[in-house]
Amino acid sequence: MKRFFRLYAFLLTIATLAVAFLVLFFLVPVLKVFGVSLFDAAGKTMTLANYTHVLSNRFFLNALGNSLTIAAAAFALTIVIGVPFAFCIARIPIGGKSVLLALAALPLVLPSFVSAYALVLMFGRAGIVTGAMRNIGIPFESIYGMKGIITTYTLTLYPYVVLPTVAAFRSIDVSIEEAAQNLGSSRLRMLRTITLPIVMPSILAGGLLVFIEAMENFGVPFVLAEDKPILAVETFKLFVGETAANPSSAGVLGMLLVFCTIVVLLIQRNVLARRYYATGARRSPPLFAVSLPLRILGSTYCWTVISAALVPFVAVIVISFMRFSGPVLHYEFSLDNFAQLLQRSHRPLVNTLFLSTSAAFAATLIGVPIGYLLVRRRSRMSVLLEIVATSPFAVAGTVLGIGLVLTYNSGPVILTGTSLIMIIAYAVRKLPFSARASSALLQQIDASLEEASINLGVPPFATFLRITVPLILGGIVGGAVLSFVTIASELSSTVVLYSGPWITMTVSMFQALEGTSAGEATAAATILILFTVLPVALVYRLLRRFELSLLS
Amino acid sequence: MTSITIDGVARSFGSLRAVDGVSIAIRNAEFFTLLGPSGCGKTTLLRMVAGFCELDRGRILFGDERVDILPPHQRNTGMVFQNYAVFPHLRVGDNVAYGLRARKVPEKVIGERVSRALKLIQLESFETRWPHQLSGGQLQRVAIARAVAFEPHVLLLDEPLSNLDAKLRIEMRAEIRRLQKTLGITVIYVTHDQEEALSMSDRIAVMRSGRVEQMGEPQAIYEQPATPFVATFVGATNLFAGTVSRRDGEMIEVAIDGGILRVRSSVGQPGRHVEISLRPEALSLVSAGDQPQAGWGLLTGALHAVEYLGASTRLHLRLAGDRELHLTVAASPNVTGDLRVAYDPAKAVVWAKDA
Repeated sequence: MKRFFRLYAFLLTIATLAVAFLVLFFLVPVLKVFGVSLFDAAGKTMTLANYTHVLSNRFFLNALGNSLTIAAAAFALTIVIGVPFAFCIARIPIGGKSVLLALAALPLVLPSFVSAYALVLMFGRAGIVTGAMRNIGIPFESIYGMKGIITTYTLTLYPYVVLPTVAAFRSIDVSIEEAAQNLGSSRLRMLRTITLPIVMPSILAGGLLVFIEAMENFGVPFVLAEDKPILAVETFKLFVGETAANPSSAGVLGMLLVFCTIVVLLIQRNVLARRYYATGARRSPPLFAVSLPLRILGSTYCWTVISAALVPFVAVIVISFMRFSGPVLHYEFSLDNFAQLLQRSHRPLVNTLFLSTSAAFAATLIGVPIGYLLVRRRSRMSVLLEIVATSPFAVAGTVLGIGLVLTYNSGPVILTGTSLIMIIAYAVRKLPFSARASSALLQQIDASLEEASINLGVPPFATFLRITVPLILGGIVGGAVLSFVTIASELSSTVVLYSGPWITMTVSMFQALEGTSAGEATAAATILILFTVLPVALVYRLLRRFELSLLS
Repeated sequence: MTSITIDGVARSFGSLRAVDGVSIAIRNAEFFTLLGPSGCGKTTLLRMVAGFCELDRGRILFGDERVDILPPHQRNTGMVFQNYAVFPHLRVGDNVAYGLRARKVPEKVIGERVSRALKLIQLESFETRWPHQLSGGQLQRVAIARAVAFEPHVLLLDEPLSNLDAKLRIEMRAEIRRLQKTLGITVIYVTHDQEEALSMSDRIAVMRSGRVEQMGEPQAIYEQPATPFVATFVGATNLFAGTVSRRDGEMIEVAIDGGILRVRSSVGQPGRHVEISLRPEALSLVSAGDQPQAGWGLLTGALHAVEYLGASTRLHLRLAGDRELHLTVAASPNVTGDLRVAYDPAKAVVWAKDA
């Protein structure tokens, strides 16, 4: 019993530290933002005036409306595109499925605002395609505004729908479908009345993640919105303040953002989570025998979607190797863009590598024990840990960044402007992912393996190290790499928290975009893509085991 | 309500002949069981009838209508799956109504038929329950109600009781049999459980390696097994191999390792290799000093294991020549050491071995 206690005490200590960490660097900052939103500009008297001011202001209401419209459109479009895609991959005999699935998951680790930027390069006012179209007489204005943002989200977020839906289509018990046919349903009626309703919770769960991501994303609207107000962007602008900073109004907008994502998250957890139909399939259902034209159609569809999503990234890479003079592109090969970028400073690259590595390490170290406790030791603390492992999802990076700045720019501990505050912000944001990834891995490993080890005389703590950790090590490494690449392309909290010496790749790209050095921006994007695709490709075999936990 | 003709059907998966030329004629309203070990082809055969498995050759007819060319949803068979396959996203009532809706039965009629089907399986009040609120046995009943609600030609059951606990399994046997009698429906029942097959069926086909080894009524299958495989698979038995040394009218004497068996048989001339099955109940213990019944043979063996089974006790003996023999006795006997066992020569079954 004493030995048993040692493992439990160890895990509990870590879990307690994790909870304390989140209280200090997540709960307090978010409450601070809430607090700021409740006080007048002088910070003396409590008032609801900020809320009435913002909610009666047409501009801010527009921002809210635009953000919700964009998120809803992205929700609908990713489902419309993703579900047929998932069906083709899961249930129709087409070639190259594993390649298709790998390519489909790729946008999740690529920085979405690179895709947005590529759209500008191609379809912007001075875009390559825009120019070409004008030359042959097709009137095309530009991709800026709502349509561009929605397009970018659809192309970069559809994997959130595809991955869980493929898994759901594959986990349907074959006898459920056979029963439908046996009872007199044709295949089409069976798809409509049985198959689709059974996978619907997974589809909607993926769609809601798209909604949250589209609400909170900062980089894409910053590149594409122009003068359209968008909630995440306006929050940032109000806080930084081009003329005068207005933290109270920024706080209100931030709270609106948090409110929207919390509502969606609650819908997902309380309504959808109960509707999962575990059908307990022992093997995947068979593929549908369909005619050759349908197979060709399905294949064509899948490759079209993949190309549409990946072409922007390829385009950016190709363009980065061309010569620019100012903003004007010349169609000749050159390494000038890279030379200029790296000549100016190595800092951004070094910073990004250092910050991402440290934060991924921290998130893993804290997340894995939480994941273990969630799966293997259900206790009263579990509810608290569940909340810990979910709530950072609900808070936009911009809002967390603002909260951290507000909390730690004065008082006993001053962190603003340090690298530590950035690492903390990243670790908070990736904690849910690493906790969930490890609990998903553990769920696949039968508890009897650990019990067998204990039964054979190895105490629990040694069993944890000798049996459990080796079994999930591949997954842990894979999860850490995924954390690393998503942090490397993080922008929404970075843009609030970075200071001069700690400028990152994403921020420098960002600044290059705002300026005229398009060439350097593409070079930075190429380097960023390299640093996200390469690690993922290296550990791809480890990642395949938990493609799904990537999502929630 | 129809007869089923399975006519020379075969299906191979790669080099494996899953069903290898099977012909069975099932009568109207008959309870017909396909019995065999796993991998014998019984489930494949059932799935052929349902339409989930294509035939390489042969035909299947319901009455006079050829059905093997129809897709599964047009065959009008009700199937009960091993894992129930109750639709998780539909309430019990909607599950039962599913087949009726597929047939575009008017909603008003559906209501009546659903309640009637649920009443039949004693789940009247469960119409609005969700499947996840039901126990395994209740799910099983829902699956059955769903399969019979639209009055199919035949009811197909694929090891429907294998996921239930032992007591429930015995209750459900009787219930399924009662249901089949009430509805007067033709049933094909697949199982690997010989007790289930014997207790429920009108007729049984014992299958092995894709072929029918023996077909007949339960009693005939048990008492006159056509092959040693049937004898060992249906019920427990003691098998002996030996050579006929002498024939004396109806009786033959067979030399086995370490002894002679004297049994009644019409097959086997001297010099012929034969196999002999002696069921445990054809054997009885002879206490020291007693004589065996007139005409019974006698074996002697050393007791080496006793299995207490509650109502009976199984004794394991080792005969001369290291041959195992087991027999079942009523009470728990207080015996040790060498025992004498009498056997009824009339109850032995003898097969001539292929030369």
